[in-house]
Amino acid sequence: MDVFQLLWLIPALPFFSFLILSLSGSKFSRTGVGVFATLSVGISALITLIIGIQFLSSPPAGHFYEQTLWVWFDVAGFKPSIAFYLDPLSLVFTFVVTFVSFLIHWYSIGFMKTEEGHVRFFAYMNLFVFSMLMLVLANNLLLLYLGWEGVGLCSFLLIGFWYKDPYNCYAARKAFIVTRIGDTAMMIGLLMLVKNFNTLDIASILTTAPQTWSPGASQAFWVTILLLGGAVGKSAQLPLQTWLPDAMAGPSPVSALIHAATMVTAGVYLIARTHVLYELAPAVQTLVAIVGAATLLIAGFSAIVQRDIKRVLAYSTISQIGYMFLALGVGAWSAAVFHFMIHAFFKSLLFLSAGVVIIAMHHEHDIFKMGGLRKKMPVVFWTFLFGAGALAAIPLITAGFYSKDEILFFAMASTKGSTWLWLAGFVGAFITSVYTFRMVFVAFFGEQKHDIHYKPGISFKIPLIILGILSLIAGFIELPHTFGHFTPFSDFINTVFPAVQLIPEKEGLELTLQISTAILALFGVFLAWQLYMKRPQMVARFKETGFGKRLNDFLFSGWKFDWLYDTFFVKPFVWLSKIDKSDFVDRIYGGVANLNLYFNKLLSATQNGNVRSYVLGVALGAVIALTIILFL
Amino acid sequence: MISLTGLNLILPQLIIALAAIIVMLSIAVKRCHRFTNLFTLLSFAAAAISVLYIPRGSFGVSSLFVVDGFGKFFTVLIACAGFVITLMSYHYLNAREKRNEEYYILLLLSSLGALTMVISNHFVSFFLSLEVLSVSLYALIGYLKEEPAGIESGIKYLVLAAVSSSFLLFGIALIYMQTGHLDLSGIAAGLSSSGEFSGVFIAGLAMVIVGIGFKMALVPFHLWTPDIYAGASAPVSAFVATVSKGAVFAFLLRLFYSTGGLENKNVWTVFTIIAVASMLFGNWLALRQQNIKRLLAYSSIGHLGYLMVAFLAITDRGMQAATFYLVVYFTGMLAAFGTVIYMSNKKGEALYIDDYRGLFWKKPWLAAIFTTVMLSLAGIPLTAGFLGKLYLLTAGTEVGIWLLVIVLVVSSGIGLFYYLRVVAVMFAGKNENEASSEPVIGKIFPHGLVLTLLFLLLLWFGVYPSSLLEIIQQIASVIR
Repeated sequence: MDVFQLLWLIPALPFFSFLILSLSGSKFSRTGVGVFATLSVGISALITLIIGIQFLSSPPAGHFYEQTLWVWFDVAGFKPSIAFYLDPLSLVFTFVVTFVSFLIHWYSIGFMKTEEGHVRFFAYMNLFVFSMLMLVLANNLLLLYLGWEGVGLCSFLLIGFWYKDPYNCYAARKAFIVTRIGDTAMMIGLLMLVKNFNTLDIASILTTAPQTWSPGASQAFWVTILLLGGAVGKSAQLPLQTWLPDAMAGPSPVSALIHAATMVTAGVYLIARTHVLYELAPAVQTLVAIVGAATLLIAGFSAIVQRDIKRVLAYSTISQIGYMFLALGVGAWSAAVFHFMIHAFFKSLLFLSAGVVIIAMHHEHDIFKMGGLRKKMPVVFWTFLFGAGALAAIPLITAGFYSKDEILFFAMASTKGSTWLWLAGFVGAFITSVYTFRMVFVAFFGEQKHDIHYKPGISFKIPLIILGILSLIAGFIELPHTFGHFTPFSDFINTVFPAVQLIPEKEGLELTLQISTAILALFGVFLAWQLYMKRPQMVARFKETGFGKRLNDFLFSGWKFDWLYDTFFVKPFVWLSKIDKSDFVDRIYGGVANLNLYFNKLLSATQNGNVRSYVLGVALGAVIALTIILFL
Repeated sequence: MISLTGLNLILPQLIIALAAIIVMLSIAVKRCHRFTNLFTLLSFAAAAISVLYIPRGSFGVSSLFVVDGFGKFFTVLIACAGFVITLMSYHYLNAREKRNEEYYILLLLSSLGALTMVISNHFVSFFLSLEVLSVSLYALIGYLKEEPAGIESGIKYLVLAAVSSSFLLFGIALIYMQTGHLDLSGIAAGLSSSGEFSGVFIAGLAMVIVGIGFKMALVPFHLWTPDIYAGASAPVSAFVATVSKGAVFAFLLRLFYSTGGLENKNVWTVFTIIAVASMLFGNWLALRQQNIKRLLAYSSIGHLGYLMVAFLAITDRGMQAATFYLVVYFTGMLAAFGTVIYMSNKKGEALYIDDYRGLFWKKPWLAAIFTTVMLSLAGIPLTAGFLGKLYLLTAGTEVGIWLLVIVLVVSSGIGLFYYLRVVAVMFAGKNENEASSEPVIGKIFPHGLVLTLLFLLLLWFGVYPSSLLEIIQQIASVIR
């Protein structure tokens, strides 16, 4: 049997699980729910693995496989189909989504053991996995948009999972509204594509676009910039990054799955998927790189001063996705996807480990109240350390080093790159290593400040260990030219993407760049050790100076973006609505409603239950019909 | 004269007629509700399946009937609806009435009327079918002796239907006076030779429109609908909403498409006004309605108005859209009334929207089904209702009947309000007076099963409409 035909099962299984859980989940036992949800995703992951092996051993013709289930409708030549498209790019995403989701579901069985509403939790999680898989497997942008909105919805539902606390609902609303701004832009972009090509089929758009649009065409410019709008919204990049730190209000597995490993990289997927369009709009592609570079710096600096362990990780997510955008912007498509994969492993690992710590500390998020966890929770310490090492790109032994290093090299050496972009990434790498190890040292080393009475069970540990190992070794499938030159990952994925155009004279810089990045990362660790372990009073003293305090506040609030938007958008809006208290605009809508109500009342009076007046109605109708027909 | 070989062409109608007689005789021997119900079910199933044995093509059976793809399609549709309604009636009747068997005779007879109507090619057969359908309906509507409201609405329906039938009959007479024909092909031939519509002829058409408009509950002949829906028992309301209206609509299509009556500008205008008024009035009337059966009555007025948009497009696509929409409408209405029956208890039906408060927390499956039904009736994507409406809109925009298209969109917007209100109530907090809605008639078998099936159909047509559309495309152009 052709295993590719199983493709539709990958999204279908979590969806069926969602249906069953949401409609009769209360009939399952407590662990039954979790196991059921986990198994559905697990089987999806297994099918992905089988299909992946088949894909690697005997790739289908043209390196893609398309499964059309049916055509949804066919009206005026526009016929969106329910069809899946599997190529190396979507395969990598599908693999990461199913596999990481499987581990996180597994972990959640233990995590949600005592929580109220665990059925709801697992149902939403399954729905999320389904939506995300639709997003990455869709062969047309309409179906992709369905997945796009689906993940947005699940994100909203899960951030506000503990809905009894108003702050969580606020965070959920904020995430939903901010990403909605991007979604609207994307929607307009999609409509423009329909108008130009009369189709949303990705493959046909990507083949027709270069024939109809010359590079730099204004149509391409507008479409790509609108799609970029959607991407920055979903991926929490400048200027729509403000929702992600607040999204940490959801349970830790949610943060791990949705707000670190998968959904937030949907923007990266969208741009990579439509890379042909971006190559037709070089200005926008440069903008992608600039957005990425700026975001990674801004978020990195904010991460240094955060106290909440999940907020540190949230800012680091924004920053790491910034790296992916940077890679996309310089045309290093495969490097972006590679970093996405590695990032998914280590970031979900960090969140899951943090989740265990938070539970053990009785829902304490502040790293300065933790301390000394190294001895009490050795497994979590080591897995967290592996994740942190990968995040900080500790040279040679962690996967993060290989993926980040590749991006930095291309930022410099690609024809679309520049020294400035490289410098941003370089400084970012240093900051990353500082804030990551600040977190590690403060939380896990030093004196213990709280007692913990909690031992994580086996269901916690195994996913952590698997992800920990992956964070170390996954990098070896893509070794740089200077070190082994073993590149199965990019060989595999480059059947989708064009190769990176390098500037010849900068090619030789690779080794120099690598060594400097490596030294910088290690220096960052050293600095963190000095500042937060050896001489914490230095930091404290600096914070007390006027400038230090202001700087700290500024960075802590995420460069005051919330304040900025509050001042420029929310407050004027509130002000406007205040002076318009009796709402002049609302009058129109109220008028519409009242008009309808008026007609309702008017007509209701005719329904008086008297046969005589009903007969009169028939007779009147007959008279009117006759009059029109005979005398008009 | 019918030769014996032509009998297989009207096999479904014969099966149902025979079934009615057998049921009648069986009651004379021994009363058994279970047997009667099962037998009726089997007859409907047999009628639907027997369509497969009718050869392809268009055949005249005497000058009264024509058996073609279009007629066969509607035959199956009506037989299936009859099947579903019979299934839903069993527990419902058991809980209320002692003598239930005659109900099935009436149901079979009025379905027979509908089945002969959809293959009618002659005014005489049409009128006879209509009367067979209606006379059995009078009794069906007032069937529950304990319910004064049922008897009241039965009499109301009798009076009003008599009035409308007299209009219809007079209209037919006028048409006969002008053309000398009662069969549709004869009328069409007479018209094409004279080339002009005479005043008497179109006056006759206007009278026919009154009669047909009444049966389909189009504005301004709609006033009876809510009273009859609310007064009749829920399965009968479902029958009135689907079979009775669908059969008349099938004849309407046949009548106006085969004679070309719509080519007269004034006739077209009258239909346009009727359609616009039905779409708007139906939805307006439903806005504040608390009684779910009345709400469905008003909603069905609106839906029949939507159907007229495709009817007025006078194209193949319009005809396909109308047929598709009718199937969707049948499925949605049957599922909606099915839910009402499911929720009913021995004391009474779950008539008020408040009876559904918090349904999701008690019966999530049922709430999911009812939600889907409401969303489909409202025309939300991924349900059948959305695609039905999409096809209606494309049929309308293709020929540029903008007034109708715009009214369709606007009234769908108005309609959203009351459909979503029902949905919102189901997800709202739990019902305080639990006791009132506890003992339900619905059983998983067979009632829950049928509901689930209808629910799946609504989703199936919503995501995979071509399965149905391909069949419709084969039959839709036969008629012209």
